[in-house]
Amino acid sequence: MKRFFTAAAVLLVITAALSAAGSREADVTTLTIAGRDGAFGDAMERAVETYMQENPDVRFEILKLSGPELMEQTVIELRGGTGAFDLILIDDPFLPRVQEAGWLVNLDDMFAQRGLEIDPDLVENMVDIGRYPYPGGDLYALPHVGNVALFAYRQDILEKYGYDTLKLWDDVLEVAQLVDEHESDMVPVLFRGVQGNPIVTGFLPIFWAFGADILVDGKAAFNTPEALNAVEFFLELAEYAPQGVTAYQATQVRDALMSGAGAMAIEVWPGWIGELENPELSEVVGKVNIAAHPGQVKDSSSMIGAWMVGIPKDSRNIDQAFDFMLHLTSAEIQELMADETGNPPTRHSVHQIERLVEKYPWYPAQLDGQISGSVRPRTDYWAQIETVFGDFLQRALVGDISAQEALKQIQIRVEDMLN
Amino acid sequence: MKNKDRISYNSFFYIIFAPALLLVLFLTAYPLGTVLHDSFFRYDFITGAKDYIGFQNYIRIAGDELFQRSFRNTLVFTFFASVLEVFFGVLLAFLLYGSFKGKKAASLIIIFPMIISTMVICAVWQIFYHYEIGLFNYVLRNIGMQPVGWLTDQRIALYSIILVDIWQWTPFTFLIIQAGMSSIPYELFEAARIDGAKKTQIARTITLPILSTQILLVLMLRTLDTFRLFDKVYALTGGGPANSTQTLSFYIYREGFSFFNFGRASAASVITLFFVAFLAMFYLRRLLREDD
Repeated sequence: MKRFFTAAAVLLVITAALSAAGSREADVTTLTIAGRDGAFGDAMERAVETYMQENPDVRFEILKLSGPELMEQTVIELRGGTGAFDLILIDDPFLPRVQEAGWLVNLDDMFAQRGLEIDPDLVENMVDIGRYPYPGGDLYALPHVGNVALFAYRQDILEKYGYDTLKLWDDVLEVAQLVDEHESDMVPVLFRGVQGNPIVTGFLPIFWAFGADILVDGKAAFNTPEALNAVEFFLELAEYAPQGVTAYQATQVRDALMSGAGAMAIEVWPGWIGELENPELSEVVGKVNIAAHPGQVKDSSSMIGAWMVGIPKDSRNIDQAFDFMLHLTSAEIQELMADETGNPPTRHSVHQIERLVEKYPWYPAQLDGQISGSVRPRTDYWAQIETVFGDFLQRALVGDISAQEALKQIQIRVEDMLN
Repeated sequence: MKNKDRISYNSFFYIIFAPALLLVLFLTAYPLGTVLHDSFFRYDFITGAKDYIGFQNYIRIAGDELFQRSFRNTLVFTFFASVLEVFFGVLLAFLLYGSFKGKKAASLIIIFPMIISTMVICAVWQIFYHYEIGLFNYVLRNIGMQPVGWLTDQRIALYSIILVDIWQWTPFTFLIIQAGMSSIPYELFEAARIDGAKKTQIARTITLPILSTQILLVLMLRTLDTFRLFDKVYALTGGGPANSTQTLSFYIYREGFSFFNFGRASAASVITLFFVAFLAMFYLRRLLREDD
C-alpha cells in the first residue's frame, strides 16, 4: 500500500509539473524570421532582443541566410504553404515575383484594421518599393534596410591631384590614370567583378549615367550606342582595377577600401561600410568621401537595393508578426540598429540624428539616394536578365569577347526571354 | 521442392521484400518520374504555371552555349580529378605499405582533408589562391615569378578547382587502395622477392593486377562524384570567370533555384542523369566482369 501511494504521489507531481510547463508554453508565441546573415542578421537580433524585453511571451527563431539561400528557402516554404515563416526579408527586385504568386499579407489592410496609417517619417520612395504593382499598388512589405549604391573615393588623394569632387565618370577615369601613374601601392578603382549580380550591380550606375537602359517600354534595350559607350568606358576603367577583380566580392572591396589600398570604389553599399569610421578597424578614418555616383550624359541616379520585410499569408501569427514589424521599422529601433550594427535606416528622422551623421558621414547622400534613387526593372525575368547581363559583361571584362559582341549576345538572349 | 512449396517459399520473400521495394520506389522512382515529367513543361515554380511544350526544353538546352560549355567543363573536371585522385591514392598506398614507425600518424594526416567540410576547405583555398595576398602568389613573387590568377584567369580557374578536389579526395582513394593492399597475403611478396623480383616488378605484376578491382571501384566512385561537382564551384568562383568553371550541376542550380525555371532545370537534370547512368553502367560492367 505504501509503495502504491508513493508511486501515485510521484506520478501526480510529474503530471502537475508537465501541465504547468505546458500551460506556460501555450501562452508563448514563437515567431520565425527568414532573415539575412552578417550585419543585417546582427541588426535583426538587436530588434528581437528589445522586442522580447517588452513582450516576454514572444520568442524568436532567426534564420540567418545568405541572399541566394534566403531566396531559395523563401520560395520553397511559401510555395509549400507550410506556414514555417512569420516574417521574411526580401531583396527589392525579387518582391514583384513573390507577390505575383500572392504570398504576402496585404499591409494596407493590416494598417486599416488597427486604425493606423503609414508613418510619413518612412521615406515614401522606399515604402513604394513594397507596393505591388510598383509603385502605386497595395502595400505588401515595409523597408527594413535602406541600402543605396554609393560611390566612394579618397578625398585626400583627389585633393592631391587637384580635384575637389568627381562630377563626371570621365573625371573618375582621369583620377584612376593619375593614381596608377603616381601611387604604386594603391589600386585606382575597386568594384565587384564576380559574374552575375555583383558585376551588374557595380556597373549599372555607369550604364544609366551614359544614357543606356535595360528595358524600354518593356523591350530589351542593350543594343544601343549609349549601352556600347557605357560598356567600353567600363572596360577602360577596369584596366585600373586589381588583377583579380573578377573574384572580387563585397568583402574584398570593403577590405581594400578600409585598409587604404583603394583610391575609389565605384560601388559601395552602406550595409558594407558601417565600420569605415571606426579607428580600430579602419585605416582611412576621415579620408573617404561617400557620395552619389558621378553623371555623364545624364545626371547620376542612385540605385536602390533595399531589403524589405513582409509577412507570409500562411503565417500562423500574422498579428504578432505585424506588431513586430512595426517595432522593427520604428524610429527608436532603426536608431539602435544603425548605431550598433550600421544598418542603414529608412526614416527621415534617423538620418538626421547628429550623433549618427557624425558616425556615418554618408547619411545625407544615403537619404538623397533613398528619396530620388531608381529601382532595378520590375519584371518577372529580372534574375535571368541580370545573370545573362553579368555573364557577358564579365566575358567582355576578361577579354573573351568585345563590348559590342557582349551587348549583341545580351540583347538576343533577353529578347528571347521576354518573348 | 514441390511447385506449391516453391510458391509459398517465394511468396514469403516477396512479402518481406515488398515494404523495402515500395520505399525505394517512392524515394527513387517517384522523384525521377516527376523530373522526367516536368522536363516536358514550361514550369514556373513560383507561380506554379505549367504548359506542355514537348521536347522544347531539351532542344533549347542542346543549343544553349552555356550548357555546352558546362558539359565540356564537367567532362574535363571529371576526367582529370578522378584519374589524378586515383593515381595519387595508389601512389600514397604504395609509399605507406608495410609497417614502420609513424605510419599511423602519417595516415591520420593524409586523411585529414577528407574529414573537413568542403565550405571550410574552399574558404582556406580561396585565401591560398588570392591574387594579391595568397600563399601561392607570395611564393611565386619570392622566387621572381609572375603571380597567377588562380581563380581569375579563365584558362586556369577550372584546374585550380581540380587541384582542390584532388587535395580533398585523394585520401579517400588512398584508404580504399590501402585496404585492398592489406588484404594481399604477405607470402606472395616474400615468394616474389626470393625469386629475385625487384620492387617495381612486384608492384607491376603482382600488386596492381590484384588491386585492379579496387582501383576500378574507386575510379567509378570518384567519377560519379566529380561529375556532380557543385559546391566547390559555388564557393570558389560562382561559375566564373567568364563561365570557365560552369558545370552541369551549377547550370541546373541556376535554372532551378535562381530562375525557378523547373522545366528547363528538370530537362538538364535528365540529360545529366543519362550521362551519369552511362558512366555507372560502363564501370559496373567492367567490375562485374572482374568479379566473374
